[in-house]
Amino acid sequence: MGNEPAHTVTRYDQELDRLRGLVARMGGLVERQTARAIAAVVDQDEDAALEPPELDVEVDALEREAESLAIRILALRAPMAVDLRVIIAVLKITGDFERIGDYASSIARRALKVEPLDGALSFGALRNMARLVQENLHRAIEAMVNNDSECAMQVWGSDTAIDELYTAMFRELVTYMMEDPRKISPCIHLLFVAKNLERIGDHATNIAERVYYAVTGEMLPALRPRGGAAKKPG
Amino acid sequence: MNEKPTQAMPSVEVAAEASASAVSGRPIAIQVNNLDFYYGKAHALHNITMGFPERSVTGMIGPSGCGKSTLLRVLNRMYDLYPGQRATGEVMFAGQNILGTGLDLNALRSRVGMVFQKPTPFPMSIYDNIAFGIRLHERVSRSEMDGRVEDALRRVALWPEVKDRLQASATALSGGQQQRLCIARTIAVRPEVILLDEPTSALDPVSTARIEELLDELKTEFTIAIVTHNMQQAARCADQVAFFYLGELVEVDSTARMFTTPRESRTQDYITGRFG
Repeated sequence: MGNEPAHTVTRYDQELDRLRGLVARMGGLVERQTARAIAAVVDQDEDAALEPPELDVEVDALEREAESLAIRILALRAPMAVDLRVIIAVLKITGDFERIGDYASSIARRALKVEPLDGALSFGALRNMARLVQENLHRAIEAMVNNDSECAMQVWGSDTAIDELYTAMFRELVTYMMEDPRKISPCIHLLFVAKNLERIGDHATNIAERVYYAVTGEMLPALRPRGGAAKKPG
Repeated sequence: MNEKPTQAMPSVEVAAEASASAVSGRPIAIQVNNLDFYYGKAHALHNITMGFPERSVTGMIGPSGCGKSTLLRVLNRMYDLYPGQRATGEVMFAGQNILGTGLDLNALRSRVGMVFQKPTPFPMSIYDNIAFGIRLHERVSRSEMDGRVEDALRRVALWPEVKDRLQASATALSGGQQQRLCIARTIAVRPEVILLDEPTSALDPVSTARIEELLDELKTEFTIAIVTHNMQQAARCADQVAFFYLGELVEVDSTARMFTTPRESRTQDYITGRFG
């Protein structure tokens, strides 16, 4: 966010650059957290499962740092127009990143508890969902870094598929649980994993909305496009 | 990135602001059409067209020499006081083109008052500073004059500070008090429009806040145009803001929109402090 000519006051530019740098780093970290959390589940990778909670400490610290810098700029520079929009967007995006980090950590913590589902349940649907979520998250971050409102718009409109996959997984898991009560515990964990992934997708959409606002000054409509079938359960 | 998709809509706050604001809601008190202004051969204003909505504050911003003060001086024909200055085009006020010939300039200036950057108290008593302006335009009895002076001083919140020393010299007042006295002098003659040319640039923050508070009250009754170099002041006081650059009107819009989502990149560069 920020393809503008330089400010007359150089320090102002330096502060805004630093702010952008902090958010970009947060973006990189939560992408990593998400990727490792997914690997922990679908590959049952114990090492991968350890990483997201560890990275979360750094994500939280970055959030605090970005927030206090943003507040400082608001107080001392009285930003206007695009600068103001970028700072407001940053404040909200760091909140989204922080949540994504939490969801990734939560997925990682559950990763090894879904293991006993041997054979009965493939991770196919989860893999598909994870791929879409990661793609959306990656593109939202790219839109942010490149001030690309077009890309942000696409991310914003492409959450439907994720919701649909989540709905399908929900139904599938409910069926398993009804068939065999012994599977309830791992199924619930897997359901939470899917739910957390779905939430990460929602935050990617939020980020896209903030980027769109920062770049264009327009807010996207309150209601996102949704597929008719994708009514979310719980 | 500049193309707005069809689903997009203006942000809620900005949209609400625009519909309730000066820009679309109120009737126009002064309409400027195709105004050009010349200082001798220097072409200072280029084809300006804009309206000043009734009973609201229009802020005029732009770098030094952009023409904002010039436009202000056209609105009450102040430029007539200087030789070689002329305006072409149209400035419609109360059904009349005030640029036309045969206009009673004293009458115009009693309807369109002006307050300057530096407080300009007359070297006379506080009371007479107010009474002077009224006497220029009207004959009023002593008791009525007392009432008018008190009323004007009350409306600028100066009354409690000076009521016991109305006969003291106005030049002994502080800068902020002097400026409020000048505003009182202006409103005492009951104008319809008040023009303010950087009225707080010589004042401390507290006096500035008092004047800004005053503008908020005065706009319920008067149409106000204020030239300011202080962007935050325009943001705080104005209902609509006009940005001038090199004698052109670049953009005029509701204040909320100007400071969050200006349409023109020149406006954005100026208000964000990016002017090269």
